[in-house]
Amino acid sequence: MIQTNMSKLVVIAFAVALLSECTQAQEVTGQLNGLVEITATNTSEQKSWLRQGWGVTRFDADSDVLGVSRAVLSGRMDFSSAWSAHAVAQYVPEPDHKLGFTEAYIQYQPLAQGYQFSARIGGFYPRMSLENPAIGWSSPYTLHYSGLNAWLAEEIRTFGAEFELKRAARRFRSKHDVSFVGALFKGNDPAGTLIAWRGFIPHDRQSVFNERVAFARVKSLYARQLRFQGQYVEPFSEIDGRFGYYVGVHWSYLKRHSLRAYWYDNNGDPGALNYTTKQYAWDSKFWSLAWRSKVSSQTQFIAQALYGNTAMGPRRGVNNDFYSWYAMLSHTFSDYRVSGRVEQSKVMDKDTWTFDPNASLTNGVTLNVSKTISEAWQVGAEFQFIDYEAQSRPVAYLPLGLSEQVWRISAQYQF
Amino acid sequence: MKKIFIWLGFICFSSQALDVRISDERGNAIVGAAVWLTGSKWQATELQENKVYSMGQQDRAFVPHTLIVPSGTLVEFPNFDSILHHVYSFSKAKSFELKLYRDKPLAPVSFSQPGVVELGCNIHDWMLGYILVVNSGVYGVSDEQGIVQLTLDSSQLGNAQLNVWHERFENLDSPESKSITITQTTQVVDYQIQQTLLDKMEFLTDDTDEYE
Repeated sequence: MIQTNMSKLVVIAFAVALLSECTQAQEVTGQLNGLVEITATNTSEQKSWLRQGWGVTRFDADSDVLGVSRAVLSGRMDFSSAWSAHAVAQYVPEPDHKLGFTEAYIQYQPLAQGYQFSARIGGFYPRMSLENPAIGWSSPYTLHYSGLNAWLAEEIRTFGAEFELKRAARRFRSKHDVSFVGALFKGNDPAGTLIAWRGFIPHDRQSVFNERVAFARVKSLYARQLRFQGQYVEPFSEIDGRFGYYVGVHWSYLKRHSLRAYWYDNNGDPGALNYTTKQYAWDSKFWSLAWRSKVSSQTQFIAQALYGNTAMGPRRGVNNDFYSWYAMLSHTFSDYRVSGRVEQSKVMDKDTWTFDPNASLTNGVTLNVSKTISEAWQVGAEFQFIDYEAQSRPVAYLPLGLSEQVWRISAQYQF
Repeated sequence: MKKIFIWLGFICFSSQALDVRISDERGNAIVGAAVWLTGSKWQATELQENKVYSMGQQDRAFVPHTLIVPSGTLVEFPNFDSILHHVYSFSKAKSFELKLYRDKPLAPVSFSQPGVVELGCNIHDWMLGYILVVNSGVYGVSDEQGIVQLTLDSSQLGNAQLNVWHERFENLDSPESKSITITQTTQVVDYQIQQTLLDKMEFLTDDTDEYE
């Protein structure tokens, strides 16, 4: 299986390289970057949600103790001054050697003397976070993302058009960057499913386009009211035919202090259901507020909070409020980066369906040390403590709470 | 005997420098000021005109921040970063754009018209750099002490136009200038900037700013 997927990777890499070579003849330029991450980790005895288990760690007893934990191929092609195409493909070993695209879009960004207008069309992440600026939306701070961004990685993606109007500080000889962002999109209707039936978990597994992500066999899905819901989510699928939208504002002061505030609403019709894929449209909406301050050239503080609601069913039979936040401090010295993060996420069950308890609470602490060996190589070690409890567990005759300690050592090769 | 005097003169004066000290209205030393002399005796040499100058991009910044080149020369734009830079200028002195990859250097760009060329990057919009195209072969950028050392030889003594420019000038296209008389090659000239400089813009960026 590994060989099959590695050969798939090689084929894709070759095809993209060939395409890049071919298009060069037409004065189209391109660039291909990549990342391969090898991880050694302890694995949990609790089966991961990715294999329909109740565990809250990405790596379970069926995972390799040592192996490739991620491979990323990120390509960019420039067709003209303003137009470029971008695609990111990722491979992750679990649950069954997944390979696919996490982003693919066309970007329009003409040169501007004053206000900068730009647009993206395709499938991509909204830019509401400040934790994941590295290649393939990975984090330069920790191996596992915060539960907040892990949820965005698995259930949130824009399939549509995003527009930005930016007043770049430098162009106006100002200390302030300000930009306004708005997007219209389709798909992303089932976003919220994992919040209801699993909760927030800090991990680093990003869903690829068209992916079906599993979760534990929660008992309530055997009930009559929820019999049409599959025990999985296809987070990026279109169910109700309606457009969703988000609006955001970015501000930064001399690039020292940055703020991003977003309102996201997938505008889902909670009564809409696809009987074939067994997926509902969820009415999911939330605020996101992200803050970053560089205390010095070496030390930075990052925090982000989400607050929102998600509901499904014609009479909003599943209806949950949720919040998730993290705060992180990261410091660099010599070739080292040390990062520490604390986080908490909570799902509050607002509906009257007592047979389907959705409330959950996740607390997490993550500590990471990484060392840059060369431009290509980086090594890191991470410890993560997760304290989790979910009201759906006792229904399945499991203890309410579960604690996990994850040790992870990684080596990353970038090109 | 005459040859000996010529040699003595060469040893004594050839590598001497005119020190120009740049300060603001309050007498504080100004770093990063561009200074050049104009006049018939301070034209660029053939060697200077034939040189290919370099404005690099490294760690998402232009290196050097301010480059002075004699008019009519070529400048290359090597990208030392692993990511793409989309370098452009809308300046009157030179308008151009280049999409630059590390492993695909492009042909140098010719800068023939004197003036200030403000450089930006369309991807990393905090990047800012300047190329000053001057009709001169004697120029420099002030150091932390506000000092520019202009190397002269004894044949370059006389009246000159001293030109001073700084990125914190209100009007970037208007350098300040002053007539000076250079009587010896070890002379020190103090120049106080005639206008109030705009606030310093000390942006703080690192590789975590990539995702913009």
